Amino acid sequence: MANLKYRLALIVGLLAASAWSLFPRTVVERVKRNGVFVYDTVNRVPLKRGLDLQGGMHLELEIDESKQAVANKSEALDRALKVVRQRIDEFGVSEPVVQKAGDNRIIVELPGIDDPERALELVQKSAFLEFQIVDKSQAFERVAPRFDEIAKNANIMVSSAKIAGGDTAKSVGVTSLLTQKTDSTKDSTGKAVAAVGKDSAGKDSTAAKAVAGGLFSTNVQPGQMPGMYVVPEAAYAAISQALALPAIQDAMPPGKTIRWGVDSLVNGAQRFFAFYVLDSRPIIQGDALTDARPNTDPVEGNVVQFTLNNEGARRFKSETGKHVKDNMAIVLDQRVVTAPVLNSAIGRNGQITLGGGSLQAAQDLALVLRAGALPVPLKVAQYGTIGASLGADSINKGVLALGIAMLLIVVILIGYYRFAGILAVSALLLYLIYTLAMLAGFHAVLTLPGLAGFVLSVGIAVDANVLIFERIREELDHGKSVRLSIDEGFRHALSAIIDTSATTILSGMVLYQYGTGPVRGFAVTLVAGLVASLFTAIFVSKTFFLVWLNRSRGVQTLSI
Amino acid sequence: MIRIFHNTTYHFLKHCRLAAGLTAAFIAAGLVTYVTTGGPNYSIEFTGGTLMQVQFKQKPDVAVIRSTLDQAGITGAEIQQFGTELDYTIRARDEKQVEAQAAGAEGISKKIVSALTQKYGAGAVSMVRTEAVGPKVGSELRSGAFKAMLLASLFTLIYLAIRFDWRFGLAAVLSTAHDILVTLAFIKLLNIEVSLTVVAAILTLLGYSANDTIIIFDRVRENLRKMRKGESLPEVLDRSINETLPRSIMTHATTLAATLALLLVAGEVIRPFAWVMAFGVFVATFSSIYVAGPILMYIESRYPRGAAEAQSRAIRAGTDAASAPAPSTARADRAKAR
Repeated sequence: MANLKYRLALIVGLLAASAWSLFPRTVVERVKRNGVFVYDTVNRVPLKRGLDLQGGMHLELEIDESKQAVANKSEALDRALKVVRQRIDEFGVSEPVVQKAGDNRIIVELPGIDDPERALELVQKSAFLEFQIVDKSQAFERVAPRFDEIAKNANIMVSSAKIAGGDTAKSVGVTSLLTQKTDSTKDSTGKAVAAVGKDSAGKDSTAAKAVAGGLFSTNVQPGQMPGMYVVPEAAYAAISQALALPAIQDAMPPGKTIRWGVDSLVNGAQRFFAFYVLDSRPIIQGDALTDARPNTDPVEGNVVQFTLNNEGARRFKSETGKHVKDNMAIVLDQRVVTAPVLNSAIGRNGQITLGGGSLQAAQDLALVLRAGALPVPLKVAQYGTIGASLGADSINKGVLALGIAMLLIVVILIGYYRFAGILAVSALLLYLIYTLAMLAGFHAVLTLPGLAGFVLSVGIAVDANVLIFERIREELDHGKSVRLSIDEGFRHALSAIIDTSATTILSGMVLYQYGTGPVRGFAVTLVAGLVASLFTAIFVSKTFFLVWLNRSRGVQTLSI
Repeated sequence: MIRIFHNTTYHFLKHCRLAAGLTAAFIAAGLVTYVTTGGPNYSIEFTGGTLMQVQFKQKPDVAVIRSTLDQAGITGAEIQQFGTELDYTIRARDEKQVEAQAAGAEGISKKIVSALTQKYGAGAVSMVRTEAVGPKVGSELRSGAFKAMLLASLFTLIYLAIRFDWRFGLAAVLSTAHDILVTLAFIKLLNIEVSLTVVAAILTLLGYSANDTIIIFDRVRENLRKMRKGESLPEVLDRSINETLPRSIMTHATTLAATLALLLVAGEVIRPFAWVMAFGVFVATFSSIYVAGPILMYIESRYPRGAAEAQSRAIRAGTDAASAPAPSTARADRAKAR
């Protein structure tokens, strides 16, 4: 019975390989210890648990074409993928998933993230850094009447109730804003309040000059530097809506562009938003950056110091030299972070003042800049976070469901097929181990739907055995010998088993192709389960029968 | 040896009109519900929006949650109890807000949490999960799911046409289409939320139902090859169904057992999936007997195959290639001429 020996050897060999591939092993990984990321040796089971089973966040990023047309998306995405991966690595997450999906999307999965907001910011930040000179030619004042007209035609206006509120606060608000120093872009409640009264008469005349009736002339006030304008909160929505109109974009003075500031300005109960008119041609962009580090400056607070490459430095020096005494806006992701006055030409090294931003914000900005700017702006198409509490709970429930399902199936099988049922159950146990090992081999991520698919595949896996057993029973009914019945039973059941598995595997592949995240996990478990069930139902249980036949030669009856 | 439904001689196909009426009524009921209550209850993945699951320390009043959110400027949010009486899901579908969130502005989920924290005090509300999906992704997912279903059906059709005969393939695919309709009706009647997981369940059930049909058809193919004298196709179909009945009962029982385990203990997240699968076990059984069979009969009555052709197909199918007598060309021609 050499044949039998080979069969058994194959089963045992596969079992050993499966056990080996499922055994936990040690890997060196960046992990969080007491809030700090360190490299450490940790013990990991090869089967990754999906986000829904351990908590964390799932992000899908796609190219934001509203900001910039992209010619070769797929290639741009490949480069973006590298940058995102690098950022994630620096952020320090164990077992992150960063992969391309289709040719316009990147999927990021960050298990065990305890600060989703920060992670979201970090990944999403395209770090599209530009240095642009702030316009001082009053370009906006020249086109404001035209803007008013366009806004009126497009029927964009501020609701009257809001205007009333805006007007009463305006005279105080704007004046006090004007008294502030250059760091006006931050949320500066304290300072603004302190500044009220001091120098209040200041530039009220400039504020009055703009009032003429239209959306822009009523609501937009000049800020404390040429090219900067402030808008009360009540009018912000209408103004930003109007600024996004194509007609307004067309009416912009040539070579100028409008960008909002990153933060709002608060004065008492009133909140203002600032926008800037900038030269649209940037002096340099983020790709000229070679290094960026966070630092704390005794005067400026938290800053990010950056270093430029040779070409960037040369260009930066000559351009900043031309614009001494002008304001230069540092624009990150199309929003003005700050716009300091250039006191002299700046060469290779410069710094970005965060003006009151936290050290963590400085660290994140430096990290984003250092890890490289994204070649294309990305936006979040989808994101989700799941608390670890849900994870632990769902794992327990899933495992319990699996246990109960197995128990029911074992009872049904052994109750109905007796001895043959025991063989089938042993084959089923091997099925479980093989499938898990295969999933580990695929680097599959175990998700809750995946687990459900697994439970279900156990139910379906039994089908192959049932088909075979019923055939054997039929053959026995025809009065064939036990040995012949077993052979014929397996042989006749084969075509149905193969046809059904083939169609299910085809569907599973379609699911994998068009599914995302959990559905893919489900498809992988389904297909892996089927392959394993084909092997155990046809090969393993046949081998068990052969072993049994071998041990009890000349047997006349079969308990099936 | 315990045997159930052994050597049965039920006349399944006799009742095919009744079955057709029943299933048509069920589908019609589903359709009416779709028309009267609007389209499917799509999950956040399809509609776009923000979904949050929050857990309260103490049982909250839904009306209070709603007014709190309204005050925070999140109007029209759906608030639903989820599992225990402390867990709630809050769904905001405002597309503008979702877009604002994607653009990196103040997140709507943050807003919700801060509004609830303000109302109930710090620590009384905790966020279990959030999901935010742009509306574009939603439409992509929908077309993706649709494409997956079409492709899966197409592959099944092609596979069966090659392995069996186009008649079998068509009957199987049409019965699968029936399953989709019935399942959609079921989903609507139970008001199950259509999420990606539910789509996965539908696809699984299609596979499962196709399985069941194929196993019966496999037996039909085999029985056609050794057709008894004077036996008609309906009789062969009935015989095949009866012969495979013990297997069907066993397999459906084990699958149903696994599904019930999921339904009862696997928790709220997996419940819609389990419901669809549990229903799917019944649909699969029903459709492979009462839908696939009658359709095959109908196709056969419109496009009959000659005896010779049947035999040549049996040969092409392979198993009995050596023993089956080769069909004479004359008979094959006559069959074609008919």
